[in-house]
Amino acid sequence: MTLWIAHLRRTPLLLFIVLYTIATGGPFVWVASMSVRTTPEIFANPYALPVHLHWNKFMDAWTTSNYGTYFWNSTIVVVTAVAAVTVIGAMAAHCLARYRFRGRRTVRFLILSGLVVPPQLLILSLFQILLDYRLYNSLTGLIIVYVATQLAMTVYILEGFFAQIPQDLFDAARMDGYSDFEIFWRITLPIGLAAIFTTVTLNFIILWNEFLYAVVLLTDDTKRTLPLGIMHFMGGHQLDVGMIATGLMIAILPVILLYAFFSETMIKGMTAGAVR
Amino acid sequence: MMAPSKSTEIPAGWIRASLARARQACQNPVLVFLAPALLIYTGFIVYPVLRTFYNSVHVLRPHNILEFVGFRNFAELFRKDPVFWTSVRNTAIFSVVGTIADVAGGLLLALCLFAKVPLARAWRVVWFTPVLMSYVVVGIIWVWIYDYDWGVVNLVLHWLGLGALEHSWLGDPSTALWAVMVTHLWKWLGFNMIICLAALYALPGEVLGAAELDNCGWIAKLVYVIVPMLRPTLVNLLVLSFIGKMMIFDLVWIMTGGGPLWSTETVSTYVYKRAFDWNTFDLGYPSAIAVVWSIIILLFVVLMTRLLSQREKLEF
Repeated sequence: MTLWIAHLRRTPLLLFIVLYTIATGGPFVWVASMSVRTTPEIFANPYALPVHLHWNKFMDAWTTSNYGTYFWNSTIVVVTAVAAVTVIGAMAAHCLARYRFRGRRTVRFLILSGLVVPPQLLILSLFQILLDYRLYNSLTGLIIVYVATQLAMTVYILEGFFAQIPQDLFDAARMDGYSDFEIFWRITLPIGLAAIFTTVTLNFIILWNEFLYAVVLLTDDTKRTLPLGIMHFMGGHQLDVGMIATGLMIAILPVILLYAFFSETMIKGMTAGAVR
Repeated sequence: MMAPSKSTEIPAGWIRASLARARQACQNPVLVFLAPALLIYTGFIVYPVLRTFYNSVHVLRPHNILEFVGFRNFAELFRKDPVFWTSVRNTAIFSVVGTIADVAGGLLLALCLFAKVPLARAWRVVWFTPVLMSYVVVGIIWVWIYDYDWGVVNLVLHWLGLGALEHSWLGDPSTALWAVMVTHLWKWLGFNMIICLAALYALPGEVLGAAELDNCGWIAKLVYVIVPMLRPTLVNLLVLSFIGKMMIFDLVWIMTGGGPLWSTETVSTYVYKRAFDWNTFDLGYPSAIAVVWSIIILLFVVLMTRLLSQREKLEF
């Protein structure tokens, strides 16, 4: 009896939870259903469930609307940039955490100050600089910019973790005759794998979704990344809601699939920079 | 006729010495480990920042001609640019109201799940989903949600019998900024919720137990026990959220492009427009805006961290 009353008192709370869940998950379900419906069907009733599943819309988007190109551009840029920033950042973090050298504090301050540099302060002159270096409107240029902008956060997270590895391990390795690089490769990296995985997740999501640098630094249609491609398509086909939804779904699906399997890792990765 | 290059006159001893130094440097692990990071960082972060500062006191004419104008850009910005002040006003409203709503909302959501509801883990996974999505995806979906004819907002209002409230949410200058703010809130609430939830679970259980024994109502418990104890976390979230909103570009650009009638123009979208949309090809003036705004953001961050975390050490 008392239990029943306790439940009754909590009804508003549970109701709110269900409503908020619909508010956050609902839009994605809606887009998913629109992505397999044609535009006339959607305009007849935007909120009906799909009757016929028009999977061929995905084929259309992929080939005729260039989403295939956008998808591969995004994949190339993000995979390369994440790999590079992980290696470069891990090396720097290892160095800052393990070595005592002159100028260490200055270098550390310099790199970590990148955490608070607003993109506006970079974007205008990066445009000029990439033009000077002939890297403007190229995926290589965008990759380098991505590595540079994600470096501070990567070093910040990794250094915090690497610094906690007990010094004894390194002393023992040193006595066993490990070289400096071997110590990095065979001690820091394997032990710090969890932290590295965290930064990989974080950088992957941020860069997969990145818009501002890409929109300023790329112009060719063949070089557009996925967010730019969707915006471009949206600009040209404002009323073709069905196809835009299919395009959105192509961008959403990889993230959702990863999230379904690694939800805890991704939540941890995304929030890593915020917990101090 | 050019003067003979001096490189031919470098003594052999100097070359040998410098080669030796280079070889030594390769054996210096610190240099090897740091070199790639420092190179890329100097070339693509430090140099662009300095160049933006340099640009801000120049006017850039076509064919790469720079004309030094001193502080004229800044003077024009402060005295004769009403659009800049509109964008400052919008960004300020967006940042202050949005940040408070963001952190308060995140904390309330975390408390909902902290109250031992069934399936709490599943809810939190769903609530976090928007955080992972790009602004392009979120922006387009919400443009549809706000659509006058078939958007779900107007549909629900109509269905509730509140047809009078139906509105062109993004088309009306008086509601556009708030509509974008709600979307931004929707995207980021899950993030704050997760961090607050982690902090709640880390609270010592006996303190909350003691509050319950003292017959403390849940509002009192929230105000006098939970918020003070979560203070460091909340301050952190406030600063993070504030920085993000002061720099907001993507969502506004995608949903409204700064319109209608400058009503959602933020400082960042204005910088972008002046630099790339107005066909003036002058990067000097937008650089001046970026410099001013970045300094303001930095000042606020320092100020907020100082003021809010003063009483960090609590006595239990």
